[in-house]
Amino acid sequence: MRRRTLLQSVAAVFAVQPFARLRLQAQTTNSAELSPANIATLRAIAEVVLPASIGASGRDDAVRSFVTWVRNYKEGADRGHGYGSSTLTAASGPSPAARYPAQFAALDKSAEALGIASFAGLPPDRRLPIVESALNTPQPVTRLPARPTGANLVADFMGFYFNSAAGYDLAYNAAIGRDSCRGLDGSERAPDAWRPGL
Amino acid sequence: MARYECDVLIVGGGITAAMVSQKLAELRPTWKIIVVEAGKRLFDADKRFEYRQRSLDYGENQWPGDFVADQAARGVISRTMAVGGSALHWGGVCNRFSEEDLRLKSMYNLAVDWPLEWKELEKFYCEAERRIGVSGEPSPLAEDARSEPYPMPAMAKTFNLIQLENWAEKSGIPFWTTPQAKNTVEGYGGRSRCRRCNTCEICPTGARYSPDFTFKQLLDAKKIELHDQTLVRRLVLDPQTSRIASATAAKEDGTDDNVEYRARTFVVASGYCWASHLLLLSANARFPNGLANSSDHVGRYMNGHLAYSTTIDLDLKIYPGMNEQHSLISRQFFRCRTDRPYVRHDLRVWENGGGRGPQLRDASGKLLLGDALVADWRTRTSRGTARVRGYYAVEPDKDSRLTLDPATKNRWGDPLPVIQHRIDQSTQLRASATREHFQKLFADLAKANDGRMGNVGPLNYQDHPGGGCRMGSDPATSVVTSEGRTHDHENLWVVGSPTLPTGGCTNGTLTFVALALRSAAAVGR
Repeated sequence: MRRRTLLQSVAAVFAVQPFARLRLQAQTTNSAELSPANIATLRAIAEVVLPASIGASGRDDAVRSFVTWVRNYKEGADRGHGYGSSTLTAASGPSPAARYPAQFAALDKSAEALGIASFAGLPPDRRLPIVESALNTPQPVTRLPARPTGANLVADFMGFYFNSAAGYDLAYNAAIGRDSCRGLDGSERAPDAWRPGL
Repeated sequence: MARYECDVLIVGGGITAAMVSQKLAELRPTWKIIVVEAGKRLFDADKRFEYRQRSLDYGENQWPGDFVADQAARGVISRTMAVGGSALHWGGVCNRFSEEDLRLKSMYNLAVDWPLEWKELEKFYCEAERRIGVSGEPSPLAEDARSEPYPMPAMAKTFNLIQLENWAEKSGIPFWTTPQAKNTVEGYGGRSRCRRCNTCEICPTGARYSPDFTFKQLLDAKKIELHDQTLVRRLVLDPQTSRIASATAAKEDGTDDNVEYRARTFVVASGYCWASHLLLLSANARFPNGLANSSDHVGRYMNGHLAYSTTIDLDLKIYPGMNEQHSLISRQFFRCRTDRPYVRHDLRVWENGGGRGPQLRDASGKLLLGDALVADWRTRTSRGTARVRGYYAVEPDKDSRLTLDPATKNRWGDPLPVIQHRIDQSTQLRASATREHFQKLFADLAKANDGRMGNVGPLNYQDHPGGGCRMGSDPATSVVTSEGRTHDHENLWVVGSPTLPTGGCTNGTLTFVALALRSAAAVGR
């Protein structure tokens, strides 16, 4: 299979219609728990899409947090009611992770076509076009989701990291610690400068 | 069928019910007080870190199960129905109204005057601040003079707020920090000092006041009984007099649809929506329009305030997330000269990180990954942003109403409420001038520090709503006295937000509590 055709097939899986996704989910055994192979793939994605400045430990933290998020997702959870509205927010839907197995498989398939057994086995520079394809075709992903939706594994993972407190700290180059309980003392000063491992 | 007898039955379990219960338990320690609340008690402070984390991670409800699915009102702005009420979620802002709010008719020929003096209300503001535990710094304006200091020192200004204050005051408008029901000292009210968790809507440490703390303390001391998950469906008139004889209720779990409460005094403390709803539901042959409604004013003059807001991009370094709920306030515009077009409002300034998030693509649509994404993001975060908002006073029309909707019923077949806010004609006539005022004000603020103003947008609902059982001296045009006693029934009281004739131009909770405490003093006499 030619490379272009392969990338198109990867993209097709990332953009597959909801009902087809459901069929693909049915082929998986445990969508809530990412497998060691999935985690290896996520690490390989992280090397391409996350900033180099966070280093290997920062990437590992991001992957670990994403895996934990997937594991602890609850379907049908009470999502409350927004202020200013008289309606209840719909309960949480199926786990986004139910839509990931086919996307992991598509990444590996693209690697196989290049003669490598898995996406994680490719060197980073050869992963890049596959990741770009996943984000570009057939319809370009335009926004990073605030929380994973299942629609696009790569975008979900990127959104998960960059929208996190850690992502904001990096962007602002400061140890803001948005989601931490930090005490009032010292809050009149600018946050300390960001450094890897914060 | 369960039957209970008590001295005082309090209907509702929100912040005003908590305050009235606490005060009555002090004034009348021998009285038996029962509080009945339709929703659950959420006395699980030990789980709040977990709830907070699930809310941050998954967008789940910070207060799981804090509503009753089939007890909903169209037009209501919060579905919270639980012990603690909307003040489980609240941000803890404790602004006072101003004397002008009580004198709209005599000063501006608008709406009505409230039937009490500012000095009288001010005493109860102080008491409310003590009971809730408010931290704040005094306003520098002479008109905002206080008879007592705030119970706790003000919340520390963050680096962001210091930057924003320096900027905002270049406009010539004085700003200071917003008073809040958050502990700045350890142990006030038995609760911890704020740890700046940045999630005040679910304060995991208890530093931000919520009424569940008061109820828990009262229950631990055996000062009250609390019957939660029990919906009061009707108040029943004594057959011989105009006194209320009993309340009938149903257990939410279906175990008893005929609970009866007999009491000497009934206090309806169920907020702006459910107070009027209960009175209208309780119509009978002698009061065919609803209890306390011989004036046909129950459910009328529903009020609140509207707002305009904008964001202002500034040449300042701001770090979003340092303490996002903490803000600056100016009360300069609480006053309006009588020879100028009428507009009264508060003015608040917050740090703002909205609209500055990570972007997957650059302006040309090219993908941004890794370091390229961060580099692009940093160019967009080099300047800071302020969020600016003014709540402004609007006066309600008589037909600003809560009515019963016969087409929508709960499981017991009771029609549910519909709220439709309507502003009066004078408010409508000044609408464009109000908008122009805010446009100019925000533009003036933006001038300093190379500020660039975003779109000026209106709030699409009336915030901090009240009304429906407005207070007044004339029984023909009001539902309750200034102390909350209904004109029609000597042992029936309505307290807090429903009694407001007009909605002010700033957060209402402290005013609701102050008025409720004044009512409690009268009930306890």
